[in-house]
Parts: sequence; C-alpha cells; structure tokens
Amino acid sequence: MTTDHRQASSDDPRVLLDEQVGVFEPVPPYPPRTEREAEFYSLEDGELLINIGPHHPATHGVMRVVMKLNGETIVDLDPVLGYLHRGVEKLCENADLHQTIAYMDPLEYVSSLFCEWPAVMAYEKLLDVEVPRRAEYIRVLTGELNRISSHLLAMGFHALDLGGLTPILYSFIERDEIVEMLAAITGQRMLFNYFRIGGVNGDLNHEFMSRLGDWMSRATEQVEANVGLLSENEIFVRRNRGIGVMDAETAIKMCWTGPNLRASGVPFDIRRAHPYSVYPEIDFDIPTRQEGDSLARYLLRIDEVKQSLRIIDQCLHQMPDGPVMAKLPRLLRPRPGRAFAAVEGPRGEYAIYAVSDGTDQPFRFRIHDPSFLHLQSFGRLVPGKLIADWMTVNASLDPIMGGIDK
Amino acid sequence: MDRAIRHRLEERFGDVLAEPVRQRHDETEIRIEPRDVPDVLRALYDEPAFGFQLLADLAGVDTGDSMEVVYHLWSATSTDWLRVIAVGLDRDAPRTPSIVSLWPGAEWLEREAYDMFGIIFEGNRDLRRIFMPPDYTSFPLRKDFYLPDDAARSPGAGVRAMEASHAPRNAPAGTVRRVGGRV
Amino acid sequence: MTALARTWGRLTLPGKVVFTLVPLLAVLTAGLIAVIALFGGAVVDVLNANLGIVRFVAAATIILVITIPIAFLNIYLEMKIIALMNLRVGPDRVGPWGTALSVVHGLKVLMKEDFTPSGADSVVFTWAPVVTYAAAVLTMLVLPFAPGLYGQDFNIGLLFFFAMGGLGVVGLLMGGWASFNKYSLLGGLRSAAQIISYEIPLTLSVVGLLILAGTMSLNTIVEQQSGWFADWYVFRQPLGFLIFFIAATAEGNRTPFDLTEADSEIVAGFATEYSGMRFGFFFFAEYVNVFILSALTVVLFLGGWNAPLEIDPLLEWIGGVLPGLGITTPVTIALDPGGLGLPLLFLLALVPPIGTLLLAAPFYLLRSSMRWWVALIIGFLLFNVVAGGLLMAWAYVSFEWVAGLLWFLGKTFAFVFVFVWMRGTLPRVRIDQLMGFAWKWLLPAALLNLFVTAFAVVLVGS
Repeated sequence: MTTDHRQASSDDPRVLLDEQVGVFEPVPPYPPRTEREAEFYSLEDGELLINIGPHHPATHGVMRVVMKLNGETIVDLDPVLGYLHRGVEKLCENADLHQTIAYMDPLEYVSSLFCEWPAVMAYEKLLDVEVPRRAEYIRVLTGELNRISSHLLAMGFHALDLGGLTPILYSFIERDEIVEMLAAITGQRMLFNYFRIGGVNGDLNHEFMSRLGDWMSRATEQVEANVGLLSENEIFVRRNRGIGVMDAETAIKMCWTGPNLRASGVPFDIRRAHPYSVYPEIDFDIPTRQEGDSLARYLLRIDEVKQSLRIIDQCLHQMPDGPVMAKLPRLLRPRPGRAFAAVEGPRGEYAIYAVSDGTDQPFRFRIHDPSFLHLQSFGRLVPGKLIADWMTVNASLDPIMGGIDK
Repeated sequence: MDRAIRHRLEERFGDVLAEPVRQRHDETEIRIEPRDVPDVLRALYDEPAFGFQLLADLAGVDTGDSMEVVYHLWSATSTDWLRVIAVGLDRDAPRTPSIVSLWPGAEWLEREAYDMFGIIFEGNRDLRRIFMPPDYTSFPLRKDFYLPDDAARSPGAGVRAMEASHAPRNAPAGTVRRVGGRV
Repeated sequence: MTALARTWGRLTLPGKVVFTLVPLLAVLTAGLIAVIALFGGAVVDVLNANLGIVRFVAAATIILVITIPIAFLNIYLEMKIIALMNLRVGPDRVGPWGTALSVVHGLKVLMKEDFTPSGADSVVFTWAPVVTYAAAVLTMLVLPFAPGLYGQDFNIGLLFFFAMGGLGVVGLLMGGWASFNKYSLLGGLRSAAQIISYEIPLTLSVVGLLILAGTMSLNTIVEQQSGWFADWYVFRQPLGFLIFFIAATAEGNRTPFDLTEADSEIVAGFATEYSGMRFGFFFFAEYVNVFILSALTVVLFLGGWNAPLEIDPLLEWIGGVLPGLGITTPVTIALDPGGLGLPLLFLLALVPPIGTLLLAAPFYLLRSSMRWWVALIIGFLLFNVVAGGLLMAWAYVSFEWVAGLLWFLGKTFAFVFVFVWMRGTLPRVRIDQLMGFAWKWLLPAALLNLFVTAFAVVLVGS
C-alpha cells in the first residue's frame, strides 16, 4: 500500500479518494510560465493530453512526454526531463580528476567508454600530457567495440519497440560476446572505468585477444544475419519508411550530430572533421544516407557497424608496442585554464568542457550529450503522425536518458 | 593551433573583443560582451570566411565573480574549435540575448543554463526549468548553492517571480569558490 | 491431534490447499462410487429418459471446464516456443520442462490484490472480462471435435460462431471505457475498430465456402470433407483460406495485429487498469480465442476431424489379405476381444510380466554393467510404452471419435503453432496500416473470391 504524503482534509479515506479523482490531467497545477507552455497546454476542441511515461516500456529510460492528441494523431509534444538527473556536473566539481572519470561512465551507460574519452582528453589538454601511441590504439579499439555493441543494442530496441521480440535477443548474443571481451581487460561488463589520464588502465591480455579473434572471425556474417532479419521485413520497412524525416539544414540548426545527422545527408563525423587520437592513421569511410527517415537511421547504424569492424581490424594490425600509460605525478595539478574535447560517440558528439582553477578539482565540468538535442526535435518530427510513429522515431533516434538527464 | 583563424578573428572582431584571442592546443577562444553575442555569432555563421555553422555546445559558467556563457562552434574553414565566451554577466541578475534565432536547437541548451545558473536568455520563448522540478527555488550549479534541504534558504535562490525566495541575496564572504587568476 | 495441528501450521498456502482438497476429493470419490454401486441402475434409467438435457448439461460443463486447460496449454506453448525462437530456454523449472508454469500463473492471478481504480465504473469494470470470456467460450459450443463429439449441431452453426465471436468486442469496449484511463480508452477504441473492421473480410471469405458447401452447419461441412486430403476445402477455396487466416489473426488480436496490447505503445491498452483474476480472464479469453480460431480454420478448410488418408480401406485390405496368407485366428481374436472369455483374462494378467521380462532381457544381457533391477525398470517402462501404443492404435482403429479427436487436435495445434510463430517473428503494424489493409485489400479480395466462386458454381451447374 502506498502512503499519500499530501494533507488530507479529514481522516476519512473517501475524502482522499475524491481528491484524487481530479488529478489525472497532465496539465501542471500552476499557471503557464512561458509562451510555449501556455500555447501547449491550451487545448482546442477535440484534443486531449496524454502522458507517455515516465513508467513506460519504450521510453529508453525514464522520460515523460506530454502529448497533445487529436484522436490518435499527435498535434504537439512536450518532453519533460529530469527524472534521471543526478547532478553529475556538480558532483564532479567536488571530486578530483580521477574520480570524475568514474562519474562519467553512468551517463551514457550503453557506451561508457565514449563518456570517459572526452573527459580524459580534456584533462590531458589541461595537463599537457602526451598519450602513448599504444594507449591511443587501445582506446580506438575498445571504443569501436563499444560502438558496435551500442549500435546492436539500439537496433534491437528499435525492433522491440515496434513489436518484434526476436531481434533484440539475437543482438544481445553479439553484445554479450563484446561485453565479455571488454570485461577481460577492464574487469567490468558495462561501466568500464578503463580510460585514465595519460592512457588506459592496463594492457590487453591473452583472454581479450583470443575472444576478439574468435568473435571477429564470424562477426561480419553474424551481424549481417541479425540485421537481415529486419531490413527486408515488409512490416518493419513500412513502419519506418518516411517516418520522422529530418532534412539536412534543419538537422544542423537543431545541433544534431552522429548517425542521426549522417542519415539526413550531412557527412559530418568528428573523427574526420576534427580528428583526434589515431583516427588520421586509420582508413575508414563515413557512411551517409540521404532520406533522413527512421529506416535510413536504422540502416546507417548497420553501415557504421561494418565500418567499425574495419577499424578494429586495422587497429589490430597496426598496434605498436609500448607503454599504455604516460608517466604522471601522483597528485595531478592541471594548469589554470579551459579545455574542450569532443569525440564521436555512437549517438553523436559527446563533449566535455572543463574549466580548471589550478587545483586538483575541476572548477566547472560541463557535459554535452548528443541525445539531449535529438529529443528536442520531436516537435518537428512527429506532429501530424500517430502515436505509433512517435514510438518509431524515438527508437530510431536512440536516446539514452542517462546522458540526457546527466 | 590555427594561426589563420586568429588573424581573421582579430581583423573582423577586434573592436568587440574584450580580451585578446587566446589559443591553446586545438582551441581558439574569444571573449565578448553579452550584448554583442547575436551579432558576432551571426557574423561567424553567415560570413563565408568563417562559416561556423555547427554549435557544438552552449554552457554556463559561474566564476564566482561573474557568470559567463560559453559557446563552442565548429567550421570547415578552421582546424580549431572556436570558443566564444560572453563574459561579465552579473551574478545576481544574469541576462544575455538568446541565439535561438540562429540555432533553434539552442533552446533546450539555454533552458539548461537557466535551470542550473539562473541565466535569463532574452528571446527564448520557452525559458523554464528542464531538469529540476518546476517548483524548485534554487539554481544548483551556482557556486553559492547549498544542499537541497536548505535550498529554499540558499542565497543562490531564483530570480523569477515564481521562484522568489525570502533569503538574502548575497552570500557571506568567503563561502563562494572563486576561480581566481587568469583562467 | 497436536502433531496434525503442528503440521498444519508449518504448511504454506499451496500445501494447505492440497491437504484440504485431497482428503475431500477422496471422500467424495468414495461416496460417488458407493452411490453408483447402490443406485447406479436407477440413475442410468433416469438419464436415458432425458437424454437431450443430459447431453446439453454435459456439453456445457465439459466446454466450460476444458477451456481452462486449453488456455493453460496455449500460454505454456507460447512462452516456450517464442523462447526457443529467441534462442532462450523459456519456462524450465516449475514442472517437467516448465509445464506447470501456466498453472502457477493461474493460481497467482487468483491471489493478487483485487481493486477497482477510483473513478472507474465498477459494475462495467467487473463485467467486461466476463463478457469477453463468455463470448470466447460460447463459440466452442458448435465446434465439432470428432464425429459425435460436439456441443450442438445448429444448422446455422457458423453464423452462431461469428455472432458469439463478435460479442467479444463489447467486452473490450466495456473494459476500455470503464477504466477511467486515457490509455485504456485509446486501447479499447483501437481494438473495437480493429475487430469490427476485420469481421467483414472474415465472414465474407467463408461465404464462398458456404456456396460450395450449401450449409452453415459445421458438422456437415466437416463431413463433406471426408475422403482424402484433396477433398478439403483449402484446395477449392485457397484465397478464402488465406483471407480467413489473416482476418482471424486480426480478430484474435495476435501479432502482427496486436496493437491493442502493444505493450511498447500504450502499455496494455484496454487492460491497463486490470489486475488479478479480472486480468486473468482477459488473458484466458485471448488464448481461448487463439484455440477456437485455429479450430475454426481447421474445421472449415482443413477437414476438421478427417484424416488426410483414410485408414479403413487399408484395414480392410489387411483383413482381406491375411487370410490368404494363412493367418486367421489370432487376427480375428485381436479384432474381436469378447471371443475368449476367462482364458483371455488370464492371458491379459500374464502379459505385463512377460512383456517386462522380454523387454528387459536385451538390456541385461547386452550391457554388463546393468544391474538386474535397473533392467527390470527399463523393461517395465518400455512395456508400458509399447502396450500404451498398441492400446492407442486399437482405440484409434476401433473408435471413430478417438481418431477424429486426435486429428482435430493435431491440426488445431499446428495452427496454434503458426500463430505463436508469427508472434515471435513479426513486428506489428500501425493502426492506419491495419485499417487500410482490411478495407482496401482484404475486403475486395474476399468479394473477388465470392464472385469467382459463385460464377464458377453457376457455370459448372449449368
């Protein structure tokens, strides 16, 4: 039995019941604070407001979307965030540099290495540290493995939100293999805490290499088989084609990055546009699609997985020997200054802006998450379509609420 | 470190820059007044010599003495990230023009800066809280923010009518962490 | 006494249930046997006098009772088959291969908290699942399970079936409306629209078959398909079969048409606010629906209880050929058990031990490490299998209804497997795609089927 903390006017339980009956509207109990809020919460004839979430099987985390519906057609949307807000930026201001790296993992928990990467890059700029080449190659290798596992998960959940129960389990077989091999070097299956300032925490070991070898030998056909389940399925294609179309110019104006931007025709990838780490030495393509709909985003993720397999292959062949960690003093004192570092994560540009005041705690630690901006565009992608289409668009944009809510 | 962009920036915006252009590693930084933000960013957006059409980040910073809004931009004409800092916002009533007209995607980023710092972005149609609950009365990332159970009494409490608190505005001296020095 | 009280106190609830029910049932059985022994003759006379009523009561009881095991079996099959398709294991622990899981689920929903949401219309809220379940159960009244095994043989049996199936919509609408919840309302409206839209292709697709059959009585339709499998209506009405199957998938709210219970969109649709046994009723109704839709497909198009190849000519041939080979007496005895009398009883008593020893001997002799009692156990189990198989074969051959029931159930569960297979494989369609498909594709196709059939009948007839 849940207890109700609100004041009851008497102890009679029927009074509480009567009070509760009227409180089912998603309209907030205060006057609208902004123009947009006033515009959204004023209903025309025949419109109704419905809450999707926060408890919902398909919101990719804890997110609430207030939808204004006319029958089954969506008229407008207002996403309400903050259910997973943990105050990470504030926590990082009170933690020293190594502890902030551990705070970074649970943000985009599916692709944790990409959350740690810009943090360590920003600190390396503030400390003027040179990362050994072997460590850079290991970072790229593990990062691309993480990208593959994140994309597989995204595709599996895309199918699950549309009703197909099977592809997600097939994707998770592959993801399990990848996660086990990363656990062999990092010790963790999910929130890896592997990157360190100046390198990585420990070299590759025999178990990792043997697992990787096994997996790589059948990775391509396996991924092809898994995605072939859906790419040619008539129902899946008809649910996704033409839904959630975003053209290139609007995508840039809405500050989109990552596969969602590339599916709209803009060939922007930070690994090529502003190269970092050892990506200039690795040969890979930037897959781009022109349609900008959900199907294009889905197919683009498949293409990216194939490119990541290429990158992993080249990393394995080109990896030099050497130390995996730069020589650093025990107590790190970065110079007073500012640093910005951005990496290309599976969802887009994941960036950290660190302001240091010379102590071993960051003065300001700003985290920029790509899915935050993808969610903002619901208002442009979905009105005029049905609730089922919102589901499709949400699944194809692949948001992770941990990163969005920080 | 891109020397060319530095020359171009000094030529074009020399009169509005609050401080000389700084460069370190692969970042170029310019500092301007808040009132110049729309013009400078529009010039950076439109002019083909610059072409900074991708907004990578919009952040608020509370330096302890003042507030700042930091924009990070990317362009194909430069190998550096361009950091535009609008310096000198008043800590007690921070206001700056909004860039939603240039990048509609900045609406939520500005909402987040408002929610965390209390910075009012003039021209943003939807400036309400995004992470914190709508009846929250403090701005958490301010340096004088107390723990949540004292938030209503914190001097960092809100600037809008709905979020007004009865606490004194100024924090006691010595409690606010300042960034100090040339950061 | 105190030992009993202590044992009672240490039992869990299921244990207490078993401890109460088993002695009760034993007493009741003993009483029943006594009653039958004492008054059996008189009772049989009374029953014989009122055979019609007895038949009706028996049919109604059996149908009500049998829907529950059918639902349990369907739930288990769905969980297990989808799990195997997902490369998972599925229910594994609760019974042998997890078969007791659905029974445990049934008990669990009985034990859940039973509440009505505040603001909900409690009368309508309570009666909605009953209406849906009753509609599903009523349709079983006309299904012919085997020759002689049916509830009623209406001459408008098919119409009755569709009418009762349509009643299920009322229950869904009631559930969606009475829940005082926008999700439920949306779900209820969606499901009502879906089911009503697909009723039309469903009924139209069988009108062609009705023209060919000339009757709406399901029994007669099945009898018309006797012979061998080429007599089945699926070969004479292939388009009708296809349309019927697709429309039946939509009628039963099964994937790819399961938007009403799309748990990734509107949580559970009309059943969002339901929990406990009320939800259990909706759930059961859905799985009974799967069974009856498969059963109807089998009855209408796949020959019902008819075997694909008739075995009677084969048996006659065997009976005719064997005397020519000199084997007469044993075969006639095997086919006419009442012949020998008391010696036969002795023979029957000796068969199990002899059979056990015979089947145990090879294991004991050929495996040196085999202990004698292990060999005997294996022999006994094998004998049971063999004897059971022989008895089944004899029953199959001698009793028409055994053969018919086996074929009917086999074919029905093959279609249940197809429904479950579709659920495990396909994503779901959108509501507008679903409605468009019904009205723009299935309906014209059903009409086309009807016209072509009518045209062909007139042409052939003239």
